[in-house]
Amino acid sequence: MSEEHNPEPGNRILEVRLGATKAEGGTRERVYTVGGAGTFPFLGAGPAAGHPPRIALEICDDTRTWSPIVLREVGDLAEDTGAWAAAAETTFGADMVRLSFTSTRQRGFDDFASLGTTVEEVIGATKYPLIVEGSTEPAIDSEVYRRIGEAAEGERVLLGTAEADRYRSVAASALAYGHAVVAQTPIDINLAKQLNILLHETALPPERIVIDPYTGTLGYGFEYSYSVMERIRSVALQGDADLARPMISSAIDSLNVKEVREADPETADEVAIRWEFYAAFSALIAGAEIVCVRHPGTVALLREALRALLEGSHPQEEAYGDESA
Amino acid sequence: MAMKALDIYKLLPKTNCKKCGFPTCLAFAMKLASGKVDVDLCPDLDEQTRELLGGATRPPIRLVAIGAGERSFTVGEEFVLYRHERTFYHQPGLMMQVADTWPEERIEGVVARVRDETFHRVGEDLSVDGIAFRWESGDADRFGGVVGTVEACASVPEVIIADDPEAQAAALAHCGNFQPLIHAACADTAEAMCDLARKYGCALAVRAGDLEELKRLVGLCRDRGVENLMLDPAPATLRDFLARSVEIRRRAVERTDPDLGYPVVFDTVPLGLPDAATALGILKYAGVIIIDELGPASTMAALTLRQNIYTDPQKPIQVTPGLYPVNAPTGSAPVLMTVNFSLTYFTLLGYLEAAGIPCYLFIVDTEGMSVLTAVAGGKLTETLVADAIKTTELENRVDHRVLIIPGYAAPLSGKIEEETGWEVRVGPGDAAEIGEYLETGWEA
Ligand code: B12
Ligand code: SF4
Repeated sequence: MSEEHNPEPGNRILEVRLGATKAEGGTRERVYTVGGAGTFPFLGAGPAAGHPPRIALEICDDTRTWSPIVLREVGDLAEDTGAWAAAAETTFGADMVRLSFTSTRQRGFDDFASLGTTVEEVIGATKYPLIVEGSTEPAIDSEVYRRIGEAAEGERVLLGTAEADRYRSVAASALAYGHAVVAQTPIDINLAKQLNILLHETALPPERIVIDPYTGTLGYGFEYSYSVMERIRSVALQGDADLARPMISSAIDSLNVKEVREADPETADEVAIRWEFYAAFSALIAGAEIVCVRHPGTVALLREALRALLEGSHPQEEAYGDESA
Repeated sequence: MAMKALDIYKLLPKTNCKKCGFPTCLAFAMKLASGKVDVDLCPDLDEQTRELLGGATRPPIRLVAIGAGERSFTVGEEFVLYRHERTFYHQPGLMMQVADTWPEERIEGVVARVRDETFHRVGEDLSVDGIAFRWESGDADRFGGVVGTVEACASVPEVIIADDPEAQAAALAHCGNFQPLIHAACADTAEAMCDLARKYGCALAVRAGDLEELKRLVGLCRDRGVENLMLDPAPATLRDFLARSVEIRRRAVERTDPDLGYPVVFDTVPLGLPDAATALGILKYAGVIIIDELGPASTMAALTLRQNIYTDPQKPIQVTPGLYPVNAPTGSAPVLMTVNFSLTYFTLLGYLEAAGIPCYLFIVDTEGMSVLTAVAGGKLTETLVADAIKTTELENRVDHRVLIIPGYAAPLSGKIEEETGWEVRVGPGDAAEIGEYLETGWEA
């Protein structure tokens, strides 16, 4: 029926390397490659399976808008970004930290020096690759991304977020300091393609781009996100090179939805974890190579599920540990 | 292989006699091509053509009904692998298991939940669909007894999980007339299971880890007169289920393997990982999912995921535009403008009812787009609002001229004011704050 069902042999999602070891000029004890698959998720074995997906735990530098459920769970860690990041790897078992500079979202933000300090602190406290999210305000983008990029120079972090009307500052920083970029568009395959082409014109190499097709959370637009991810993977395997990039999915609104916010305090953690899990797990099935969550309890559930999906398809050390060797 | 409308048309009599109920042969051909009608409606086809067209146009996956009465449901009749290719039609039934070795209270607890628990989302009632009885005791009478006890207090669809025909017979003696799913026949038991399925007119699941063996079992059952079949690919891991279920669906919708054209059953319990398995079943083509006692949080998330995945991608769930009174408003009550996306409407309505403030919800037609999406996509405009004010005769319904618009529609406030002549107030972005806003900030 539809030719989409069968990938063209030989087509592959591009591989993106995250993190840099000492030998490569960074300090990471683990580095990851994401992407590489030539099949729909979890259906391939051997080289066609590509690299295993990664689970990121999101943390932030200004907790005022962060979910109170998560803040209750992590307690004092929320006051110490470095310790929070370290716990994400060791205590909570995430593959990587996604540090969100929520401080830059406040009106009139100008404490640019703090960004570099926090990045250095988090780099010092962690051993795995990092994702760092900057501002969302074009007026300060250039300064914000310069500071973050510079402080993380050589570590090959995944830097976010480039959007169609504000991608230059992120791309410039990635180019100058050797990072990769998250390219986000609102749930539309053509917009995703266009942004990748725009980024290409900045001279950012394709193997340094991760697509974020935008994830509406469960019950609030998730079906659109799920399908756009399936479509992107599908046309990529048909040979559309501009879309043959790994995808990242973060249902950032998961913990703000009515069902979670209004859960009674005794079950709030449970509700938050399940709400995040069902969206993140489904994103993996649709083709996301990196899924991001905020509640530490979600990480373990995702880890178990991934293990069962990957069983036998990857060498043990790549699936769960160091592949830098 | 599926056929295109024109290829089908070539094989029809081309007399446009209308006996099929369609004005022309071509119209009928188009309906056939989309799998929406049965070829038998045209009485003037020879046997060979009928068979050819039937094979190419009938839904590639058989429709199977489970249960009797109000909560019965059907699965199958799907056409695509990806929801963006068309849509998914028949959402999977979630069947919560009880085992016949469990203490009575535990069984009662599950049964009560399945019978009574519903979640309301976007104007729909969501609930687990039925009960799956698992034979663990090794004692057929005991199994029958448990089924009988439950049967007396809950009329919900059922799955009978027992690989032994005697245990099945004991259970079916109590519930056979209510169309439970018999789970599952394998090579040794196929004959006896088919006899039971025929006796009670029930659907029967066949179970094998290998697709060739599944096909052989299907053939065996059909030869014994059982057509309502389901396939259990006997997965040992999530990975197995994904691979087998995708392959079954692919071959079925591509019509390369008609023997695999039956809905799939996924027994998640032996795999552990209840959340992941349930989600996987919902996403990847299960028709019946046998689940463990999921907690309320998991159940709500799973049902929401199912609702999302089985929404038609071509049309968001919408409400009819118009003026909706909330909490018995009078002419001086505030008017709140919003969009006709169901999710938006029900979210907003929930908060307004909770706040208990009389008001009018003034819903404009954004073709089912949410506020932000409609603003970004140009579906919410000042002319649209002005026209809607006229068609709803808003001016005659309230005695003031103040319109409260959603916070996210703020960029349009000036234009709406100019175009309508109404005074526009920008409300909060988040509906959770609407009660407080109306209590403190609103005055006509
Ligand atoms: C799902 C989704 C889609 C779906 C559409 C779903 C639908 N039926 O609307 C699809 C994929 C089709 C889509 C398309 C587009 N989308 Co879109 N989409 C979303 C997403 C993820 C969720 C929207 C949603 O369901 N919200 C939930 C509902 C309940 O929210 P709501 O209607 O706003 O209602 C709330 C409030 O407004 C308030 N409220 C409602 N009414 C009222 C009334 C009063 C009086 C008050 C006081 C309050 C109030 O209460 C509600 C609860 O708090 C959002 C991201 C997001 N987080 O919002 C992006 C988003 C809205 N989309 C965006 C964009 C840009 C688009 C497109 C233009 C992209 C494109 N492809 O060209 C198109 C436009 C569509 C078109 N061509 O017409 C952007 C908008 C950017 C901006 N800030 O303007 C967003 C924010 C994503 C992003 N971050 O980039 N989208
Ligand atoms: S009944 Fe058959 S011949 Fe008559 S109009 Fe319909 S398709 Fe054509």
